[in-house]
Amino acid sequence: MSDFPHDSAAARGLATCHTCYKLSPAAVQHCPRCGAHLHLRVSQSLHRTMALVITAAILYVPANVLPIMTTEQLGSATDSTIMGGVVLLWHHGSYPIAAVIFIASVMVPLSKLLGLSVLCWSVARRHATAPRERTVMYRVTELVGRWSMIDVFVVAILVALIQLGGLLSIYPGSAALAFCGVVIVTIIAAESFDPRLIWDRLGDGNE
Amino acid sequence: MRSLAFAMGAAVFLVIACMFPFMSMKAGGFENAMTLPQTALELYYNGRTALALLVAGFILLVPAAVLGSILVLLVPLIRGRNAPWLVPAGRLIFSLSPWSMVEVFVIGVIVSLVKLAAMATIVLGISFWSYVAFSLSLTAALSSLDRSYVWGAVEQVSSR
Repeated sequence: MSDFPHDSAAARGLATCHTCYKLSPAAVQHCPRCGAHLHLRVSQSLHRTMALVITAAILYVPANVLPIMTTEQLGSATDSTIMGGVVLLWHHGSYPIAAVIFIASVMVPLSKLLGLSVLCWSVARRHATAPRERTVMYRVTELVGRWSMIDVFVVAILVALIQLGGLLSIYPGSAALAFCGVVIVTIIAAESFDPRLIWDRLGDGNE
Repeated sequence: MRSLAFAMGAAVFLVIACMFPFMSMKAGGFENAMTLPQTALELYYNGRTALALLVAGFILLVPAAVLGSILVLLVPLIRGRNAPWLVPAGRLIFSLSPWSMVEVFVIGVIVSLVKLAAMATIVLGISFWSYVAFSLSLTAALSSLDRSYVWGAVEQVSSR
């Protein structure tokens, strides 16, 4: 088991359960307490994470190019994209809200994709520098992902509330589903990255 | 246990949140009120079935499932009884909770309030405040639920 630092649980064939944190021999395969599948490290973690990151990056294009909602006012329809909505709010002087939407729908997904790529790259290259900082980076990535859904929820609320027939109505656009996809896929990507891989490389320098 | 108290409170708030108007708007003599389930239903009527299911899941179904699992897990545990559903309920709580987006939805409501403030008068209904209370109590219930302690208790009860 030279893949793991020699004083780690993994080197002794012990695995923690992801669900209930019980430490058991990895050879039993299923946690004796809660029945969840046991493994020393998430299998194919880097491949899976990168595949999902690429999927999310592809979905991110229609999410920004297609309209997220259509406003129909007195018979004339206007499409608005995510960035269009941010710019409009900025011009109306709602700076804090424009900032919230910009951070949640543009900065968070992009930094998540970038962050997970950097983490995968550094683990694949067997970098041993700044493990603590990289672990913090992973935790932040995991924590902020759900907040990207704000814009989709805003569309859902506007669609439900603004229904005045021909006078003023709002309809959902295709970008909303694509954006939902981005959020879901990045959450799964963050879950499939195993942060313990960052620390596995530390043993290399000591030996 | 504190977690059970918060979970029971959250269940009451969730029921109230689904029954009354969530928010309503007034513009140019027109008035339109909506309820919480309508946010997803209107998407469905617009032909966005997948989107409607996802929104309903994230703001209602998943949080309700997490809440239900906390209740059916903690009630037998506190009385020291065993039940066949303890292990699946426990696993469900911890695997579903990342997908509950109650607090994200609350921020979404506030953002849409600001967006609409220029166009119309918006009135927040009972359900909105109830949903905020639901969001706070569900977060409190989840954060006071200690993972190691719960699984230790499950192990103890089921080995008896």
